[in-house]
Order: sequence, then structure tokens, then C-alpha cells
Amino acid sequence: MKKFIFVICALLVILVLCMSFEKEMPEYNPERNYVDLEDEILEAFILAKDSATIQLPEGHFLFSQSLSIDGKKHITVKGMGMDKTILSFKGQTNGAEGILVTNCSNFTIEDLTIEDAAGDNLKISESKNVIIRNIRSAWTGKVSTQNGAYGIYPVLTENLVIEDCVAIGASDAGIYVGQSQNVIIRNNKAFYNVAGIESENSIGVEIYKNDIYQNTGGLLIFNLPKLTLYGKGVKAHDNKVYDNNLENFGVKGSIVSGVPKGTGVIIMATQDVDFYNNTVQDHVTSNLSVVSYLVFAAEDDPEAAIDQSIQDRGIRAVEANFESDIEYNAYPGNVFIRENAFENKFSFPTLSNEYGWLMIFKNKMVIPDVVYDGILPDGAIIQDENHKICIGDNGDFNFVFMDAANDFEAFSNNLSPFICSLDL
Amino acid sequence: MKQFKGIWFSLVFFGCVSCQDTIDKSLAPKATKFVFNKPLIKKEVTEKEKLSEYGFFKLPLANLDPTEQVVLYNLNTPLFSNYAFKKRFIYLPGDAKMRYKNSGIMEFENGSILIKNFYYPEDFRNPEQEKKILETRLLIKKNNQWKPLNYIWNEEQTEASLNYIGKVKLVNWIDKEGEKQTVSYSIPNLNQCKNCHARGKYVVPIGPTAAQWNKTYAMSLSNKNQLDYFHEKGILKELVEPNSRPKLPGWDNVLLPIANRAKAYLDSNCAHCHNAEGSAKNSGLYLSYNQNDSRKRGIFKPPIAAGKGSGDFIYDIVPGHPDQSILIYRMKSNDPSIRMPEIGRSIEHSEAVVLLEQYIEELAQNN
Repeated sequence: MKKFIFVICALLVILVLCMSFEKEMPEYNPERNYVDLEDEILEAFILAKDSATIQLPEGHFLFSQSLSIDGKKHITVKGMGMDKTILSFKGQTNGAEGILVTNCSNFTIEDLTIEDAAGDNLKISESKNVIIRNIRSAWTGKVSTQNGAYGIYPVLTENLVIEDCVAIGASDAGIYVGQSQNVIIRNNKAFYNVAGIESENSIGVEIYKNDIYQNTGGLLIFNLPKLTLYGKGVKAHDNKVYDNNLENFGVKGSIVSGVPKGTGVIIMATQDVDFYNNTVQDHVTSNLSVVSYLVFAAEDDPEAAIDQSIQDRGIRAVEANFESDIEYNAYPGNVFIRENAFENKFSFPTLSNEYGWLMIFKNKMVIPDVVYDGILPDGAIIQDENHKICIGDNGDFNFVFMDAANDFEAFSNNLSPFICSLDL
Repeated sequence: MKQFKGIWFSLVFFGCVSCQDTIDKSLAPKATKFVFNKPLIKKEVTEKEKLSEYGFFKLPLANLDPTEQVVLYNLNTPLFSNYAFKKRFIYLPGDAKMRYKNSGIMEFENGSILIKNFYYPEDFRNPEQEKKILETRLLIKKNNQWKPLNYIWNEEQTEASLNYIGKVKLVNWIDKEGEKQTVSYSIPNLNQCKNCHARGKYVVPIGPTAAQWNKTYAMSLSNKNQLDYFHEKGILKELVEPNSRPKLPGWDNVLLPIANRAKAYLDSNCAHCHNAEGSAKNSGLYLSYNQNDSRKRGIFKPPIAAGKGSGDFIYDIVPGHPDQSILIYRMKSNDPSIRMPEIGRSIEHSEAVVLLEQYIEELAQNN
């Protein structure tokens, strides 16, 4: 009962705080002088034969419709550099994507900027051997829920490299890889997105040397139910993940709208994750969390009714009925967190979410560096062989075992059950 | 556990309090035409630049008077395309023949070409008088695959030129009631052909089926059946007996039952996507003429992914209540994010809406 009153009071305080402070969102306002070469570029995309290179000139090109390539081999789309060749889809009247690539093999896109698509800036689906290099994806103006969902968005793709890219302002994820295999994500920058970089339901992913800052959540390693592929085998190392404290501007009902601001890294329901040699710092909620899908599942919650428009836009929503998916494992396992540097310039947990309040009352007002929710399926026990979370040497850091499944009863900072190592 | 979830969800909702938008990001800025003389790709156009090069029609081209190897054909129930008239032909190379198929499209040999001309008579009350041809779409069978190409007619109506990127044209006509009508007519770009003509990864024709061709032949003086006419002409082989041939009702044939006409209309206008293998397969709404599962036909079926296309209605079809049926709502709308079909129509086909409303009214009586 006490707890109940506490929750109500906390919510009231949050509500008041939220209403009294109109939070200023950041802006991205590059100078643009739009020109029209739509017919010629559209024609090049339509006519490109196998092995063609579409060489785009310098200029800020405005389009009223999507550009698409389907079923071709060895196509290269090349600009004169991300500051020189800008493809803008601002106010497009036809199609949802900026550039849409489907059923291609050996596709390369490099050296240009894609901006302001109604939906996703660059979507690549059902393709093989794909290189995305030196591409900037951005939504201009004030960061807003109206921005398109995904910046750089390969899905159902095999053998993929995303490198030297910049992702700005996505209302879902800046760089997002979904249901793909053999993926490298390196040397990219992501800021002003709800999720900076996200690997979802993908197998064999290596994420390194990325700079991820000023998003709502920095790096998300997710595995969601009811999809064609389930994720495992993710290595993330040498990344800098810092200051991801942006207000969440995701579309209500989308999975990422449930990510609390000030979250550095979330590893959710994924198996075989090696997280090492990263710097994770300055987050108001937590630097790194290892959680099950249950913290997002909306079971029995009528308020979680999903806005239909998010289905139109292809945004992933919370799937309440995940238990009917027998292939799906909703719990993390074989996760190894080692040799990372955790720091925090913030000394007081955020009051903007319950999670911060929990840390105030249960964690001596310390923002945790590594959190494990401790939710397990029926019959499983902490640290059994299918649900091993190993934490190696990470210097000085704050660890929290939440015991979220049991009303935080066994909430603890005791690291010893988790000191182990894994061969991944 | 429950409580914990509750906490997370309150978090989801409060997280969004401060993100209401006041700015509108959907306005397009202005752009000046950019002149760039270097080609963006190496273009090796191997296609014929002009329609006249094919030799499908005698001169003057605009009469669409077919030459030796070109045969006119008609369909029982065609697709509605903003009231455009269509003249369809088949070109068969050499002594190539078509092989009859009871279901699906006829089998064509490589080199066969389907030709579809889109035009508007100036006055629909005299459709054989002055007309304006807008485009001629070709489906060419080459290496066992169908390939689309499009030709746009010039203002003088003397020639049509190869076009890949589409075009929007303003068209005027006088309708059957003598009213002046106008429409902004969209000629599709080459990638858009797949919207309707895709089966998996491949482009396929839609119209030339036994059910669509099973009708009196327009050019024959003796009420001959079109299939028999083609067979006697020696261009259609393996034709079956008349009573084994399927037949799609004419949607505008007032002698036929309303339900059959309505189903035929849905078959031609929706089922190319709304079938179990089509691009609208995820909708669960399947509208082929022979679909007998009433739920799959939309009756008391809730939408899957209609979004705002549902118009806040609950079912695709509510028997007895066309005004509460999503199907009618979407047929009446001209909004690109609501209307059905998605492309090829930008004005309401009011005669068809009347037919479908009658069909939905009647469904209540039959139950």
C-alpha cells in the first residue's frame, strides 16, 4: 500500500514537472538552396542496368517522390561527398521513403546526404552484399515527432557494412539494422535521434568505433517477437556512448517510445552479446541495462492501445501477445560485459521517470552504470546456463540487480553472482 | 510483476508529454530547374524511341487501325482508370500462337506484345468522334519474361515517344450527361508498373484470361465469341468447349444479378493486389471472382493494416450498411492515403459505387 501511494505521488510530481518545463528540442538547420533535377535522376534510377554507377553531381536536389531500385546487381549510387550532394525529399507527395532499394545484390551507396523523407530516408530490403558508406541521413529543423522513422534502414539483408555515416533526427532509430545477417556498423555518428544506433533481430553483428550522443537512448541491441529472424551473436566494442538524455519524441505506441531518456545502452532479450572496451558515460537514467522483453510488453494494459498511424508508417509497436511466439526467447542470455569505462557527470537520478525514482529510493540516489532486470521465465533461476549474464573487469562502477519480477524485493548491488566470463 | 509493468507504462506516456508539435514539416520548398548536361549513367537505350517504329498501326497513327499481325481484344469487366477509354491489341510475331488456359493468363510466345491505348473522346456521347490519346502501354514478352514500356502521345496526335519517368496531364471531356469533366491524369513511371502487374518478383499481364475474353467479339459481324474468333483465326490453340470456359460477368450488364456484377468489378479493380499472392496479401481481403469465403470477401472482416483508411469503421463490409462499410468509404475517397485502388484512380467511379452499394444492401436480404 505504501508503495502504491508512493507511485501515485511520484507520478503527480512527474506530471507537474513535465508540464511546467517546456523542454527545448535541438535543431539542425543546414543552409540549403534547392534545385530540381528530379526527372533526370529519377530516370537514372529507373534505367540503371546491372553494374551501372549512378554518379550524382554537386547540388541540393529536391524530389517530390521516392527514388527506387529493384532487382538489380552491382549498382553503385555515388555523390560528390555528404556536404556536396544533398538529396532532399522535403514535402514529398509520392512514396514514403527517400531512397528505396529492394531485391538487389552487391549494392553500394556512398558520399551523399539524404534528408527529410516522409518515412525512412534510406531503406534497403531483401538485399545481399550491401555497402552504405559516408552517407548522412538527416531531418532538418527542430527535432520532432513528425520526422521520419528510420534514417539508415537495412532490413532482411545479408552481408552488410554501414561505415562513416551520420544519422540525425530520426523519430525512431538513426541507424537501424533489422532481421539481417553478417553486419558491420563502424565509424558512424548518431545524434538527435530517439535511438542512436539499433541492432534488432539480427545475427552476427559487429558494432564498433561509433560515436553515439544526444539521443534519447544511445545503442539498442534488441530482439523482438513475431519477426522472421531472431537476433543473436552481437559484438559491440570501442564505441563512445555519451550524453543520451534527449526527451523521447518517438511516436506513441512505438517500441522506442518506451525507452526512457538518459539511457546509454540497452541489451534486450538477445543471446550471445559481447560488450567490451566501450566508453559509456553521462546518462541520467542508466549507462547500460540488460533487460527482458517483458519490460516493454503491454500485457493487459488498455492504455497501451496502439495508434493506428504507427502501423501505416511501419513502426514497430509493442507486441503484447509475444508468448504465443514459441520461437521467441524474451530473456537475455550469454551476455558478457567487460573492460568498459563507465562514468557519470550527473550525480542525481532523473525525476522524469519511475526508474530514476526507484534509484533514489533503492540505490542511494546513485545512477547505475550496469543494471540487470533479473526477470526470467517460469522455472529458470538466476545465472542458469541459458540466462547467464557475466560481468568482467569494468573498473569502478555501480551495479544494480533489480529483481523486477518480484517487486524489487531482492534489489541488490551485489556483483558476485555475476562475476564470471564467457567465451563468445 | 504487474505493478512493475504499470510503472514502465506510465513512463511511456509521461515521456511524451513534452513532445507536442506545432510546426508543419510537410510543406515542400521551392526549387529552381538545374541544368546538367552530363548524363548521370551510361544510357544504352535499345528500346524503340517512337511508337510508329513498331508498325502496330496504319497511318495516321491516331486511328489505331491495326496492321496484319495485330488483333483487337476486349474484356468483360475492365479496370477503371479515371473514365479513360482503352483500346487493347495483341501483337503476335511470325506465326506465333497463344495457348488457351482455363485459369490465369493465356500462354504467350516470346516476342508477343500486349498493347493498351488510353484515350478520352472529347464528347462521351459520341465516342467515335474526336479523341485524345494520352499513352500507349506495352507489355513485351522477351526471354520468357514480361517487360513494361510506355509511350506518351504528342499534342498533334501524330506520334508517341518512349517515356520512363511518367507525367501528369490535365484532361477535359464532356460526359454522357453533357457535363464538362476534368481530371489530372497521371501517366505512371516504369517502376510503378509493378504496383499492379507484379506476381512475386516478376511482371505479368492481368487482362488476357479466358474469363475476361469470354464474350462477343467487338469486330465480328455475327455475334461470334471472342475466343472462338481467335481460334478460327488460328492464333489461339487448345481452346476448350464453350461450356467448359469460365466467364467473368460484365459489371455494367444490367441483365445480370447485382452480386455477380459487383464481384466481377472487384475482381478486375482490386484482385490484382487483393489475392493470396498479391501485394495486398497481408490485408487478408481477397476479392477474386471465385473467392467464396465471405470473411475473406470482407463481410464482417475487420481491417488489418488500413490505418486511417478505415475511416473509423469496423468492418470492410457491413451487409445492409454500405455507409458503414470501409470498402465503400475507400472507393468514394479521392485522398491518396485513403482511396482504393491506390493508383490509377483520382476521381470517384460513381456508377460502380452505386453498384457496390446495392450489392452490400442485398447481402442483408440474402442472410
